[in-house]
Amino acid sequence: MKSLWWTQILAVMRLEIKKTFFARRGLWIYLLALAPVALFTIQAVVTRSFHLTQPEPSSTGRLLTGEQLDSSIHDKMTRDEIIAALGEPAKSRTRRVRKFDDDGKEIRVQEETLQYYGTDRSVTLILADGVLVGQISNARLSLGQNTYVFAGVFQFFFIRLAVFFGCLGIFMNLFRGEMLDKSLHYYLLSPIRREVLLAGKYLAGLLAATVIFTTSTALQLIANLSSFSGAIVSRYLYQENGLSHIFAYLGVTALACVGYGSVFLAAGLLIRNPIIAAAIVLIWEDVNPLLPALLKKFSVIYYLKSLCPVQVPVDPGMPQLLRLLISNGDPISAYLAVFGVLALAAFVLWASSLKVRTLEINYTTE
Amino acid sequence: MSDQIVFDNVSKFYGDVLGVNRVNLSIPPGITSLVGPNGSGKTTLMNLLTGLIRPTRGSVSVLGLTPEQPEKFFALVGYCAQFDAFPKGLTGYEFVNSYLRLSGRDAAECDELAWRAIDRVGLREAANRKAAGYSKGMRQRIRLAQSIAHNPRVLILDEPLNGLDPLVRAETIALFRSFASGGCHVILSSHVLHEVDIISDQVILMSGGYIVAEGNIQGVRSEIQGQPMQIVVRCDHPNTLASRFFEEDHIVEVRMHADKKGLLIKTSDPDRFFNLMNHVALNGHKLESVAPVDDDVNSVYEYLIGSEEAAK
Repeated sequence: MKSLWWTQILAVMRLEIKKTFFARRGLWIYLLALAPVALFTIQAVVTRSFHLTQPEPSSTGRLLTGEQLDSSIHDKMTRDEIIAALGEPAKSRTRRVRKFDDDGKEIRVQEETLQYYGTDRSVTLILADGVLVGQISNARLSLGQNTYVFAGVFQFFFIRLAVFFGCLGIFMNLFRGEMLDKSLHYYLLSPIRREVLLAGKYLAGLLAATVIFTTSTALQLIANLSSFSGAIVSRYLYQENGLSHIFAYLGVTALACVGYGSVFLAAGLLIRNPIIAAAIVLIWEDVNPLLPALLKKFSVIYYLKSLCPVQVPVDPGMPQLLRLLISNGDPISAYLAVFGVLALAAFVLWASSLKVRTLEINYTTE
Repeated sequence: MSDQIVFDNVSKFYGDVLGVNRVNLSIPPGITSLVGPNGSGKTTLMNLLTGLIRPTRGSVSVLGLTPEQPEKFFALVGYCAQFDAFPKGLTGYEFVNSYLRLSGRDAAECDELAWRAIDRVGLREAANRKAAGYSKGMRQRIRLAQSIAHNPRVLILDEPLNGLDPLVRAETIALFRSFASGGCHVILSSHVLHEVDIISDQVILMSGGYIVAEGNIQGVRSEIQGQPMQIVVRCDHPNTLASRFFEEDHIVEVRMHADKKGLLIKTSDPDRFFNLMNHVALNGHKLESVAPVDDDVNSVYEYLIGSEEAAK
């Protein structure tokens, strides 16, 4: 019997996959998934173009500390003094420019720019005829800071909005969409248990959601890291905890699809209007930190927050309510969190199976 | 295993609205027609039979099985519902084959069964086109193919002759007969008694959610002889067709439709009329549709159960 069920589940998935992946009305889900990828890609292009990220030491010469840059540079320094204090610049450029002296007389000046990279900023020194006349300093984004940026976007946009609404679009349509299309009866008239049908539809939705959103997560990570030089990324991945962060983000994305998928599949069976379903679940998820301990456990975000590898730092000046939403005041272990999401999804699917067993076709009221 | 379809004191209410009430039926193999005006409860009865809706009271069993055992139940039952919709993006073949695969059969067997069913309804050439783009008659036929593909012992058909041209209608009726002659149950619904009386072994007349008459077709048919039937024929040359109709003594009245693309005909002998339509089609007249008008069944009901009930 179990082998028959698996064959039937695969048959349902075969029917559903095309609809979930290639439905025209699901185009917005791809846009939602690609939005943070676009965001990080733009950030990468801008920071690389303007050298706003931490440089690779081998390509930029000596990497100076902020203190070195502050203490070594003085007005009217000569080129030789600068080289003696800071070493050879990472980049330099010389050109002749026309200027006017105090008497309004035109003079020719040799202008040179020397570029130095510090750990927290880049400094461009401007020399006229070999004497320092000005400097431009740009703060630089370090990979460490960038992990916080990524964590913030991941937790507060990607999981709570993109994956949330993406799962709403995919999973609510599995039953509700077919009721609106008046084609669900073909399934209900087939020699397949309705619980098996539910499992097949859920797995098809889960496959689609997981592929779309984990791909998005992977692309976001690639775009995000592409701001930095290969050596820095390599050190982050292999010497620090970069790889484990990447796997954690991919895992959290997949678990979010598992959790929200089950919730919206059930919502599609119980609630006709997806906007009402979305509003109810969104409010429930957002007020999670305010709920009593037992009720907190009936929320997907409760478990996902504990699985995110980087906690977003809370600004002391932040309003209390926002701080409460951002902070994870009740963290649980990773094993417990994974088990929690899976158990919650299993419970919701079990409740859905009770509903689907008594589901009636009445298209005229849809 | 029982060979009967049994409704045991079945009632269905949609909130305060009555679907069917206190239905007790025992339906033997053969062709059984459910006849009644729109809203009389025919579709509700069929949906109850197949588990698409659940009875408020009573129970339904088909050959001793209920829809609670879907693997066995739907291996025996095929239902061509009236919902004219298809899953998005599927061709006719994919539509038939995909739902066959849900039974757990292997791909080769499903392929063979699907093509056999498609051949039986004469849609092989169109099978690889998107089902949603089919004409109304083709959509009706591909849904019929989907419902018969697994060789059911009980075939349930909701208004199966709607939208079919005379030739296909005759072929489809022959298909129902072949099922019935093999010992199967064929249960079909129509709001036009004349449409099904020539093929049915048994007729169940419904009105307002109640069974008002059931039994052998001969008895019911004798009751309605002489009642004129109205039929709308949509065609390319209505004038030519009208002059042909005037030659027939069973044609009581012929009226041109307002858009000049159809005729409203009253006939005292529907059997001869439909035979005539087959000849007309074979002689090259392009017929878009031949559809009995609702009013006719009301006149039958008026005759059988009184004007008060028929007006409901």
